[in-house]
Parts: sequence; C-alpha cells; structure tokens
Amino acid sequence: MDLLETMPVSKRAKQTRWAFRAFGCAVMGFLYIPIFFLVLFSFEDSKTVGFPIPGFSLRWYQAVLDNQALQDAVRNSLLVAALVAILATIIGTMAAFPLVRGNLRFPSVIRIFVTLPIMLPGILLGVALVTFLAGQLHVRLSLLTVIAGHLVFTTPYVVLIVASRLQGFPRALEWAAADLGASPARTLRHIILPLIAPAIMAGALISVTISLDEFIVTFFTIGSQLTLPIYIYTQIKFGVTPEVNAVATLLLVATLGLLAAGGLLGAVRSARAAGRPKEES
Amino acid sequence: MDRILTRRNFLQGAAGVTAAASAGAFLAACGGSSATPAATAAATSAATAAPSTPASSGGPLNFLTWSDHWNQDALNQAKATLGITVNVSELSDNSDGFAKLKQVGGQLDMVSADALWVLEYSKNDLVVPFDLASITPSDGLYSISKSFEFFTAPGGYLAYPWGWSPIQIAFNPANVTTTPDSWQVLVDAKYKGRIVMENQPTDIMLMAARAIGAKDGYNMTDAELAQAKSFLQALKPNILKFSSQGSETIQALADGSAWLSTGNLGAEQKVKDAGGPAINTMIPKEGTIGFIDGEMLVKGAENAAQFVPYLTFGAQPEWVAQNFLDNGRPLFNEKAYKLLVDGGHKEQADRFLYNKPELALQMTLKGPGGRVQDYIDIFNSVFGA
Amino acid sequence: MSVVTAGGTRVPPATPFLVRLKRRLVVLWPFTPITLVLTLLFMIPLGIMVVYSFWTTRNLNVVSDWTLSNYIRFFTNETYLRTFGKTVLMAALVTVAALLLAVPFAYFLVRYVSARWQRTVLLAVIVPFWTSYLLRVYAWQAILGEKGALNQFLLATGLIDAPSRLFVYNNIAVFIVLVYMYFPFAALAVYSSLEKFDFNLFRAAQDLGARQDQAFRHILLPAIRPGLITACIFVFVPVLGEYLAPTLVGGTEGVLISNLIINFFRGVQYPAGAAIAILIAAFVIVLLVIFRRYLQIEDVVARG
Repeated sequence: MDLLETMPVSKRAKQTRWAFRAFGCAVMGFLYIPIFFLVLFSFEDSKTVGFPIPGFSLRWYQAVLDNQALQDAVRNSLLVAALVAILATIIGTMAAFPLVRGNLRFPSVIRIFVTLPIMLPGILLGVALVTFLAGQLHVRLSLLTVIAGHLVFTTPYVVLIVASRLQGFPRALEWAAADLGASPARTLRHIILPLIAPAIMAGALISVTISLDEFIVTFFTIGSQLTLPIYIYTQIKFGVTPEVNAVATLLLVATLGLLAAGGLLGAVRSARAAGRPKEES
Repeated sequence: MDRILTRRNFLQGAAGVTAAASAGAFLAACGGSSATPAATAAATSAATAAPSTPASSGGPLNFLTWSDHWNQDALNQAKATLGITVNVSELSDNSDGFAKLKQVGGQLDMVSADALWVLEYSKNDLVVPFDLASITPSDGLYSISKSFEFFTAPGGYLAYPWGWSPIQIAFNPANVTTTPDSWQVLVDAKYKGRIVMENQPTDIMLMAARAIGAKDGYNMTDAELAQAKSFLQALKPNILKFSSQGSETIQALADGSAWLSTGNLGAEQKVKDAGGPAINTMIPKEGTIGFIDGEMLVKGAENAAQFVPYLTFGAQPEWVAQNFLDNGRPLFNEKAYKLLVDGGHKEQADRFLYNKPELALQMTLKGPGGRVQDYIDIFNSVFGA
Repeated sequence: MSVVTAGGTRVPPATPFLVRLKRRLVVLWPFTPITLVLTLLFMIPLGIMVVYSFWTTRNLNVVSDWTLSNYIRFFTNETYLRTFGKTVLMAALVTVAALLLAVPFAYFLVRYVSARWQRTVLLAVIVPFWTSYLLRVYAWQAILGEKGALNQFLLATGLIDAPSRLFVYNNIAVFIVLVYMYFPFAALAVYSSLEKFDFNLFRAAQDLGARQDQAFRHILLPAIRPGLITACIFVFVPVLGEYLAPTLVGGTEGVLISNLIINFFRGVQYPAGAAIAILIAAFVIVLLVIFRRYLQIEDVVARG
C-alpha cells in the first residue's frame, strides 16, 4: 500500500481516486440519512414518530432516564449481543478451517447444513426452539436460552465469511513457518489468525448487528426479562414513542464516540511509532 | 394540562390513601404545577397502612403482558411494601403468548390476554380460575365485568378484567365529506389508497364478517366467506398500508396520507397531539369488533401465591385511574372512574366511553375463531401478490 | 520402504488406517462445536417443524393427523406461487443492487483509506444498524412518504408539481429499504475478501497492457469471488425471509412470501406456515446444489 502511495500518480489515477472518494462519501451519506431523521425524531414533542413535527423537546430523553425497565432492557441486549458475538466468532472461525481445508467428501452438504439456519423465517425458529427447549427438555428460559437461540443464526454468518477469506490462503507462509520451527499452534496464532483477522472481525460485527435487533426468536426463548427489541416491538397496542428514538440516539452517540476515540487513539499511537525508527537509525 | 402526569407526583400523594386525598392530588397535578408530593416515606407508609393490601409472603412474580398493563412506579412500590418482585416480559400478540405459555407452563405466573383467547387458554388447560372476590379491588369493578360468561368457569373467574376498546373508524372530515355510518365506507372507490388498518388478518376477517352481516363472525359459512372475500377484494385497492403499531395509524392520519382508519379509541386526541388535523370517529351501524383483556393465573405457576397480593395492590382504583390517563382506553374499574371525575377528567373519560362498559359486550370480541386456517388462507389469497 | 507394483513402478506404502483416522480427526475436530450447536438447537427443533408441516391444526393445537394439504395449498392456490416468484425476483434484484454498491465501496475502503482508519470506517458503516430496524424503517417512511423529505426536496427544486406517492407503500419502497438494510452485510463480506488482494497485480497487469476495467474484471473479480458469493448468500437468502420491511413500507403491493407465512403463525396455524417455510428452504437448497461448482470455497489440498 505504501509503495503504491509513493509512486508517481497519473492524472487518470487522480481522477479515479477522487471518483471513488466521492462514491465512498455518497454511500456513507446514504447510510446516515435515515439516521439523521431517527435522531431528529427523538427531539419531537409528540407521542408518535414522524412528520409533522409539532414541536421540539427533550422530554423523551428525560423519559429514558426515568425508565428503569428500558434501561434494563438495553443492558440485557448489550450483554446478550456481546456474548453472542464472542461465542459465534469462536465457534464459526473454528468451523471454517475444516470446511476449507478438511478435504470433506461432501462439501456442499456441509455448506448447506451451515447455511440452513438463515434460510428459515425467525418465527419458525422461535416456535421450534421454545417447543423443543421448554416443551420437551423443560429447560428454564432465561438470557442463556436467548444466547443459544441467537447463536443458531449468527454462527453461519461467521463460518461463511471466515471460510471465504481462508480460501486461497497462501499455504507457503505456513510451510515457511514450519520450516523455521514453528508448531502448528504458533503458526495459527501468529501467521494465520492475524491474516484472517478482517474476516473474523466482520463476522463478529455481523453477529452483534443481528443479535441487537432480533425480536421474534428472542421473544420465544427469553425468561421474564426484556431486551430492547422486545421492548420496542411490544409497544404495538399503543405504538412506539420517540422515547425509543431517544434511547437509540444515546446508544449511537456512545458507540460512535467510542469509535472516534479509538480511531484517534490509534492514529496518535501510529504517529508516535512512525516517529521513532528515524531516531533509532 | 400536562397529559402525562409525572407518576411520582401523582402517586406519592395518592397510593393507598383515601379517595378524597387522592382526588386532591389529582386536581393539584391537573392544575399543571408539580403538586407538592407527599414525602416518599410517608407515601410508602401510607401504602402499607392501606387496608386493602394483605400481608404478603413476598417473592417473585413472572408476568407476561402488554406494555400498557403495568407501570414502573407500581412495581417499585409493590417491591418496597409487599416484597413482591414483578418480572415483566412483554408480548405483542395473543398468539405468541399462547404459543409460549403452552411450552413454558409454570415458568410464568400471570399472563394477559384478550377475551376470547382467555377461553382458548382455559380450554388448553393453561390457566386456572380464581376467586375474584379474593382480590379486594374487584368490588370497585363494574358489575357487568364481574359476570362475563367468557370469563366464568367452574371454580371461579378466569381473568381479572382490565380494559377494553372497540375498533372505531376514524376519518378526516375535510376529505370524507359525507359522514360515514357503515363499514361499506371502506370499500368506497373514492378513497383509493387512503385507508390504514391494523395488520391483524383475523381481526380484519371479523370486521369483514360484520360488514357483510354474517351471523357468526367466527364461523362464517362458505357462502359468507365468499362474500367476505369480495368485500376484501374491494377493500384492497383502498388500503394504503397495514400498520404494525397503533402509532403508525395515527401518523398516517396526522400527516394527511390517510383519510380513514380503523383502530382503538382515542384517535382524535392522538392525531391532534401528533400535529395533525381534527378527525372524527364513528362506530359502524353493523356493529364492530374490539378487545376486552384481563390478567390470568397460570396453571402450575411457581409463584401463584403472589398473584392475589400483587393484583390486590396493582388493581387499586388509583393505579387504574393513572393507567387510563397514561394510555387512554377505558378500564373496568368503576371507582377509578369516580376518581377521574373528581380529578376533573370527566370529559375525557366519557369520550373514551369509560362509563359505558356495557358497550363492550356489543362488540365481536377479538379471538381465534373456529375457521382460522380458512380465514387466513382467504386473507392471503386477497392480499398476497 | 516403497513397494513395487506388478507394473514395475515404485509406490509408497498405503498409510495405515489408524494414522489416517487420526489425521482426519485432527483436521476435523474444530467442526464439533458448530455441529453441537446446530444439531441440538437447530436440526432437532427444525425436525419438529418438518413433522408439524405434515400434521394438522385442530382448535389451535397441532394434532398428529398426517396430511399433505399444507403442501398442496402452496401449489394449488396461485397466490402463494405468485408471491413466491415475486419474492425470488425481489431478492435477486436486492442482491444485485447491494453488490453494485458494496463492491465499489469495499474497493474504496481497501484502496483509498489508510489501514488504520479502515476498521473505524467499517464500524461507522455498521453502527447505524445497531439501532432498531423499526426505527430505521420509520425514518425511511419519513423520507419517502407523501409529506416526506424526498418529496419536499423534489418540490423545492421544481422537479415535480405535487407530492408523489411513487416512493412509498409499494415495491419500490420495499426495494430501497431492503437494499439499505442488507448493504452492510454485503459490504463486510466483500471487504473481508478484498482486503487481502495484492494491488501490485493491478500494476503488473497494466504494465502488460491491460486497461483499468480489464484488470478489474479479469484480475480483481476472480480473486474476490469467494467474497462475492458470500455476499450473495448474505443478502439473497435472508431477503427471502423478510416480512418486516414489506409490512412497514410495502403497503398492499409490496407483500412478500414471508408475510403470508407470518399470517399463519399469528393465527397459531403452525403446520400451514411451516410447510411454506420449508418449501422456501428447499428452494434455496436446490439453488445451492445447482450452483455448487461456483460456490466452491474449499482449497484443493494435496493428500498427505
């Protein structure tokens, strides 16, 4: 990458670069325009979300601060999502290796097996899970059963995305490491995993995204708790209020804030590190 | 007047104390100023001193219900004064609750359901009847609600009556110039793409049954089904969308994209609050559908002991009155109506038909009928691609 | 210790069975956790649903009366077939659109964003999707609706005279919302494959005389094919099961097959709903089998 950046750049290449930059910004804009409205409506002085806006107020933020049940629901959601992401990533990454390298006799069958969970509508899975877990096995429903349910349709995403990255992995690197005396475990930890890290991270992000917004399977597998999606979707009889927008905005601000902080921290650290070699040499 | 009274203000003055005092707190809160609330300590001791609250052994209570059947302050006070920790989980649809309870049984203690679903729960041996009189606030209920035949079972009552609402047709008089009086207004070609209804296929079939004058809405004959199907086919081009949430209907009326809608009571005020035009509502002459809901005791509930004590606390007229102000649909507690009247909310309560619980029995009650599969198949046939 | 065959050539001795088994187990054991999870929490519950699809509902209870009527319904009532066909078409269009956005975006990210910011930008892409689906769709309604932002913009710029109802409560709205909802999954899938691409190959190709788009089509796309396939799966398959976006912005026109399934489930008619859902899954399985050559993600590894 750095080599490319220091090479002399033609005018055509410059145009391409700006075109792509513009496109990238346009896409980010497309992604965030609805978010802008989501945040806008959180300040709406009305019990319903959307235009027309009768006025602006902070009352829904106040409502969030007063609403214990909502805060508990958010906490449960974050907890479940974090655990689901960790477990799904581990299980899914593990499963990708045999899929790509295991010389399986019927790879299509295995792949279909792994993809099946995302083929079915969530309500089918939810009813099936509660029938089996609670009805047959008499398992006590709780956040643990919710995590189990979420794992079913998040691990396929991780497997597929890590497998697609693992395919065509330069085996020469592993053989070179082995020649140099590295055990398979070390090779895994220091060579393979860092190089497939983007896929693992992508899988983890997808798992979090799916888990945070999952309602129907969660409803059927949860005990006497609430998660944020359940809180939102069960307002059905009387409707969602901008309170939900307020909580979403707060979460958004928190995560984007952490992101920015993390990005800046990384930038500062790299800048410092970039400065050092010159002094040493 | 602030429509959402700060619950703390209201209830600190009212919980468990005499009607006069609570009415006083009502009026003060209605006056717009934050009423000087009784100190929390005084309020909690007032609650414990309340004669209607029996001594409780304390413990958890697992409650599956809709979001408008409980409020956090009541739960907090129940925990503080009675030692009952209510664990709320919520449902969006009767069928989901039914499916879930069937599988989890005693892991839940109390479940809310709409009227005719209560019968299904009972038929499937999922809930047990209880002695209504043992829940002392029940003496403040309208007598009609204590003798619903669909709640009566050998051994007691199947559900503690909570609230009800008919489905009304709301319309914007600026666009719907002749005042409608019948379901047939929904199939009037003038209103192409201007009607919003709630996304409940079984309810829509019941409405269609009313519209065509079917004898038994839950078990239409094949001939009646064919008529209902034609009604729906005429309805389809007029539908703008099916709402998943009541607020979507309100939004559509408020921003003018819909001229007619079906939904629960209270649409006029909600649309106005949302910044929309003045709308009117009517109940069609052929009759309408609606819900009556209540709280049921699960069979084999692990914490059945907390059922009566919690309801004895949570179903007190003061909480019920507050619930009405928060959610805006009539409830079955007559004493609460008197509290509302004393608090200056008579006009609002009457608009919501609070004092006319007998109307609830004129509705076709929401619930699964005898021919659900056929109903859904027909609905799918009309509204599929 | 080679063996001489009858033909006179030297062949290595056959590896002993136990050694082979041990090697297989070493390679295959990481597959155990996912097998446990999917078998216990998915295959068995799914099996229950498959059995239900052949049974009947009576008085809201599933009773073991074997019947094919739930499957026959799908094939005899043309609504289900039509809706299903339309859903497949919609899923295909959404997949194409999502890829058309995702591939250039992933390229932009890998090529023109420095390594340390790539992760941040990716997170910035996905974080909006940690808000509720419902809220995002309501926001789209506010944009696409009759009094919405898009109409205001078009009116203000004079492109139209009266608010258009073209963008909401129809198939177009469902399409736009679905592309929006599934773009991040496609982008993540393409990114994770594109990120390892060596751009020096581009330089080499251009040195050898290839135009930029030729290099793109013949060098880049084949290299990221696994990522593209994964992105297709991540969008096409779940869209077949989509019901929320059609309900919220589709009006009566934008109905998809899962809406019809949900209607059955909400009426506690599990056999009826399960049968249609299983037919959709069967369709996807058939597609995966037909296209299995293209979906090859296994490495060809020499035995030994």
